[in-house]
Amino acid sequence: MKKKSPKGARTLNKSHIYYHAFVLPGMIFLLIFSYIPMLGLIMAFQDFKPAQGFFKSKFVGLKHFQYMLELPDIGRVIRNTVIIALGKIIFGMILAIAFAILLNEIKVKLLKKGVQTIVYLPHFLSWVVLAAVAVNLFNLDGAVNQILTSLGLQKINFLGDNAVFRKLIIGTDVWKEFGYSSVVYLAAITGIDPGLHEAAAIDGASWWKRVWHVTLPGMLPIILLMTAMNLTNVLSAGFDQVYNLYSQIVYESGDVLDTYIYRIGLVGRQYSFGAAVGLCRSVVAAILLVSANRITGRFTGQRIY
Amino acid sequence: MEKRTLRKILSFLLAVAMLLALAACGGGNDTPSSGGNNSSNGGGNNSSNGGGGNNDETPSAPIVVTMGRQTTANPKFPDGDNYENNAYTRMAEAELNIDIVDEFEAENGEDYNRQVSLILSGGGMPAMMKVSSKDEVTELYESGMIADLTDVYNQYASDYVKGIYDSFEGRALDRVTYDGKIVAIPATASDAGTSMCWIRQDWVDTLGLTVDEDGDRCLTTDEVKAIAKAFKEGNPEGVDNPVGMAFDSALTAGSSEGTNMINAFAYAKGAYPRLWYYNDNGEMTYGSTTPEMKEALRLVRDWYNEGIIDSQLGTRTWDDITSLLTNGQCGMVFGAWHVADWLLNNVYSLNNNAVFTPYAVIDENGKVNCTHANATGEYVVVNADFEHPELAIEILNLFYDDMVNSQELLDKYPDVNTYLNTGVDGTARPFNIEVKSNTYLLDEYACLKAALEGTGTKEEIPTAEERSNYDSITAYNEGSGDVTGWCKIHSRCKGVDLLAYLTDNNLYNWISPVYPETTETMNTRWSNLQTLEEETFIKIVTGATDLDSGFDEFVSNWKSQGGDTITAEVAEQFPQ
Amino acid sequence: MIDKGVGPTIRKVIIYAIVIFLGLICLLPLINIVAISFSGSAAVAANRVGLVPVDFTTTAYNRILEDNQFWRSFMISAVRVALQLVLNLVLIIPTAYVMTKNRREFRARDIYMNLLIFAMLFNGGMIPTYIVVRNLGLLNTIWALILPGALPIFNVILMMNFFRSQPKALEEAAVIDGASPLQVLLRILVPCAKPSIATVSLFSIVGSWNDFFSGLIYMQHVEDYPIMTYIQSLSIDLAELVKSATSSTLENLTELSNRNLNAAKIVVAVIPLLIIYPFLQKYLISGMTVGSVKE
Repeated sequence: MKKKSPKGARTLNKSHIYYHAFVLPGMIFLLIFSYIPMLGLIMAFQDFKPAQGFFKSKFVGLKHFQYMLELPDIGRVIRNTVIIALGKIIFGMILAIAFAILLNEIKVKLLKKGVQTIVYLPHFLSWVVLAAVAVNLFNLDGAVNQILTSLGLQKINFLGDNAVFRKLIIGTDVWKEFGYSSVVYLAAITGIDPGLHEAAAIDGASWWKRVWHVTLPGMLPIILLMTAMNLTNVLSAGFDQVYNLYSQIVYESGDVLDTYIYRIGLVGRQYSFGAAVGLCRSVVAAILLVSANRITGRFTGQRIY
Repeated sequence: MEKRTLRKILSFLLAVAMLLALAACGGGNDTPSSGGNNSSNGGGNNSSNGGGGNNDETPSAPIVVTMGRQTTANPKFPDGDNYENNAYTRMAEAELNIDIVDEFEAENGEDYNRQVSLILSGGGMPAMMKVSSKDEVTELYESGMIADLTDVYNQYASDYVKGIYDSFEGRALDRVTYDGKIVAIPATASDAGTSMCWIRQDWVDTLGLTVDEDGDRCLTTDEVKAIAKAFKEGNPEGVDNPVGMAFDSALTAGSSEGTNMINAFAYAKGAYPRLWYYNDNGEMTYGSTTPEMKEALRLVRDWYNEGIIDSQLGTRTWDDITSLLTNGQCGMVFGAWHVADWLLNNVYSLNNNAVFTPYAVIDENGKVNCTHANATGEYVVVNADFEHPELAIEILNLFYDDMVNSQELLDKYPDVNTYLNTGVDGTARPFNIEVKSNTYLLDEYACLKAALEGTGTKEEIPTAEERSNYDSITAYNEGSGDVTGWCKIHSRCKGVDLLAYLTDNNLYNWISPVYPETTETMNTRWSNLQTLEEETFIKIVTGATDLDSGFDEFVSNWKSQGGDTITAEVAEQFPQ
Repeated sequence: MIDKGVGPTIRKVIIYAIVIFLGLICLLPLINIVAISFSGSAAVAANRVGLVPVDFTTTAYNRILEDNQFWRSFMISAVRVALQLVLNLVLIIPTAYVMTKNRREFRARDIYMNLLIFAMLFNGGMIPTYIVVRNLGLLNTIWALILPGALPIFNVILMMNFFRSQPKALEEAAVIDGASPLQVLLRILVPCAKPSIATVSLFSIVGSWNDFFSGLIYMQHVEDYPIMTYIQSLSIDLAELVKSATSSTLENLTELSNRNLNAAKIVVAVIPLLIIYPFLQKYLISGMTVGSVKE
C-alpha cells in the first residue's frame, strides 16, 4: 500500500465513493421494501393485534410454532407442496432433457425454429391467462373431457377431484415450462464435442447407445447443476398457478404452503400464525439455497451467486 | 476518508430506517382510514340534523364518511354511475348531508375479506364497513376498534326498523350485543324454509304417474323414491344414463334448504346435520352424530344400492348436477325455493317444455321438520373514532325504512326509482346488507299473489323486485315464453307458495339451532372433523363402509378427536 | 450420413413425430382460446368450440373496444411496465457493476452482496410489506406496483455475471487513462452489455406485465387494477357466489356466461407479449445460459 503513488491512492478512494453512490439508491429501496418489512416478522412471536400494533401486542414466544405442529392442516399442506414441487421438478426435467435431445436431431431448420418458437411461448404467459386456458380445456364439459367421452372413456373432473388435481397442476406446469427449460440442455448438447459422436458411430453404436453414452454424460454437469437449483424450489409449488386453479373442493390435494399462508395469514386474519408459517418456510428455503450454492460451487465451479 | 464516508452513509441509512420503522409501526392512527378526521370541519352543527330530508337548511360542509364497499361483478349501473357515485349514494349524500368516500371496493367473497384484513392489519378502519362473520365483530369489539351503537340505535332507529329486528324475537340483535352493548348493525336473514323436492311435472304427465294423491303438497320419503324410480326407468327423454336423483359429494348442508343435499331426508328422519341444538334431553347436540342421522344414511344407502341414486355419487359438483338436469338425465332436484331462479332456469333455457313442481318431504308424523336460519350472518360496523355513529343508523333508516315505505322519497329521487325498477344490483347501496322482517318473503308474496289474482294491484306490492317479478310473470302468462317469467313463476308462485302453504296449514315443526362462533378447539380440529364426517358419510352411502359399525366408529372418533370439547365450548357460548 | 438402412429412417420419423406432437400440444390450447374468442356465446356455453371458431363473430372484440375498464387497466399496466423498466435498469446496472468488484478493489462489496443475498432469501411477508407501502401513502397509486420490486436481486446477479464475463482489459485501460467508475460504466461496460441489458429488460417487462398479485393487494378499487389483476378478477367462483349471495345477485349468475368475451380479453392482454416475443427469443439463450439460475 505504502508503495503506491499518492495519486493512485486518491483514485482508489474516489472510486470507492462512486461505488457507494452506485449501490446507495438500490440499497435504499432494499431497506424500505425488504428490510423494514422484515421487522414485521416479530409478529410471528406475538399475538399480533392490529389495534395494538407491533409495540403493544403481547409476546407469546413460540406459541404459533407450537400450534403449527399441532395443526393437522400443516402436514397436509407440506405433503401437497413437496409432492407437487417434486413432480414438477422430476417430470419437467425429464421432458426438457428428452425434448432437447430430440430437437437436436431435427435437421429441417424451419421446422426446428417453428417448434422452438411455439414451445418457448407458454413460459412467458402469466398463470392468470393460462389458468383460464386450462379451465376451458379441463372443466367437466371441456375439450379434454369431450375427447375422453368420444373415446368411450369416463369423464374426469380434473379441477374438482382430489385424486387428479395434483396431476393436473404438475402436468400443466410441465407443459408451460418444458420448452423454456430445454434451452439450457440444448446449449449443453451443442457444446458436446461432435468427434465423440462420430467415434461412437464408427464403433457401431446405435443412436440409443450414443444418446446414453455420449450425449447424456456430456450433459451431466448441467443436469446436476439444474437439479441442485431446482431442488431449492421444493417448498414453492407455484402460488400463481395453484391460486388460479384451485377451489375449496381440492384443498385436500392442492393446497400448498404459499396458498395456505395467504389464505390463513392474510384473508383469514391470523396474522401472527401466517407469519410464523411463512418464517419457517423462508428458513428452510434459505438453507436449501445456500446448500445448493455450496454444492454446485464445489462440483461444477459454477455458483448461483 | 473512506471509512468516514462509509460511516456517514451507514448512519444516514440507519436514520432512514428508524424513521420508516417508526412510521410503519405507529402510523396506523392518522391514516385516512380513521374516517372522522374531516368531519371536524363542519360536522358540529350537523349532529342534531335528524334523518329526513331537511338538508336545505344546512349549508355546512358535508361529513365525510369513508366506507368499505362490497361489490359484484355485474352491478348493471347506468352509464357514468359507479359504486362511489350512484343514485343511492347521491340520495344518501343529499338527505343526510354526507360525502361517501369508498376507502376500498372489492368483490364479495375472498376479495372483500382480503381488503378488510389488509386494512385492519395496519390498525385502521373505514368509518363504516361490512363484515361477514361474528368472529370479526367479536375481534373488533375486543380490540376496541368499533363503536358502541346502543344509544344511537335507541335514539335514532325508526320504529319500522326496530320492528324488523323485533320480528326475529331477539335472534338478530342478541348476536351483536356484547356486554349489553349493541356494537354492530346486523343484516337479517329470514328462514329459508324446507329443502324442496323439485319434480319435472312434464315427465310425470308423460309417464302418467300419480303424484301426491292426497293433494297436501307433501311427499313421504317412499313417494319420492317411487317417483325417482319411475323417472329412471321411464327415461322420458330417452337419454343414455338416466339418474334417479343426484347429490353433491358433501351430502348435507348446515342450513335447512340444502340445495343438492340430502337434507330433506335427514330432516324427515329427525336429523339436523351440521347444526348445533339442544335436544329433547337438554343436551347440546351436533346433528350429524345422532342416531337419526344414521337412519337417514341408511335410507340413502339403500336407495343407492337399488340404483335410484346417481352411481357417481361423491364425485359430482353442482355444475355436474346442473348438467344432469339440463341433459334430461335427471328429473328431480332438491333445494331452496329460489333454485328456480338460478339452477332450474338452465333446464328451461334448453328445453322449453320443462315444468317443475316443488313438494315438501314429511316425516312419519306428517310434519315438515325445519330449522330456523341463522338470523344474521353479516354486520355493518362503525369505527370507534368516527364522530358521527348516528349516521350509520340514519343510513339504515333511509334505505330499509324510508326507501321501502315512502313513495315521496322515490318521487324526489327518480333515479333511485329507476334503479329499483331496472334491477341495479343491491350492492350499489352504501350498506350491502338486507334488513327485512322474518316474514318478508311470505308478506311480499301475498301482495304479489293478490295482484296476480286480481284481488290487489301492482302498486300495492311493496318492493320493486316483486313488482318486476309481477311484470315478468304477467308477460310470461301472456305468452312471452321468457326465461325470467318462467323462473319467477317457479320460484314465487310454486316455491314461495309452497312455503306459505306449509305455514298456513301448520305443517311445519320448527327447530331452533344455535349458531356458534369459531371456538378455540374448532381452530385446530374442525376442518378435520368436517373431513371425517364427509368422507365417512359418502363411504357409508356408497357401501365402502358398513353402515352400523362405520357410523358408530365415526361418532366415537368424532367425539374423541375434539368433538366433545367443541360441544362443551358451544354449550358454554349458549347457556341454556 | 453415418447411419444406414431402414432403422434410422423409422427413428427419424418417430423423432419428427414426437417433436411435432409436443409443438402441437403447446400450440393447440392457445388456438382454442383464440377460437373461443371469435365464437358465438351460445356455442361457447355449450362447449362446442374446438380449434375453429363456431358461429364466427367479432362481437366480443367490438365489446372490448367499448370496455373502458379494460383499456384503463391495459394502460395502467403499460405505464407500469415502462416506469418499472426504467427504474429497474437504473438500479440494477450500477449495483451489478459494483458487485463485480472483488474484496480488494472495494472492501464494502461483500457487505452489500450479503445484504442483497439476505434480502433474496428472506422477506417480511405480505402484511408488513403492505403496511410499509400504506404508510408511505402509496396505496392505490402506480408506485405501489413498482417500488417494492424496484431492485430485483435475481436480475442483479444475472447482470453481475454478464459484466464479469466481459474482458477486463478495456476497463483497466480506461482506468489508467483516468476515467472515473461512472465513465467506465457508461462508456465501456454498458455499450458492451447491450444484449444482457436487453435480456434483463425483457425479464422486467414480462414480469411486470404478468404480475397480478400486487394489484390485488395494493389496489383498493377495481378501477386501479392493472391488466392481469383485472383479468384475474373476471373468473367467477360459482360455489362461492351462491353461498353468500342475496337473491338479487343470484339472478346475475344467468348473465355471467361471457366466456367468449373473457377469452377475447385474454387474447388482447397477451398481444403486447407477442409483439416483444421475437426479441425475447433472441435474448433467451444468453439469459438462460449465463444466468442459468431460476429464482
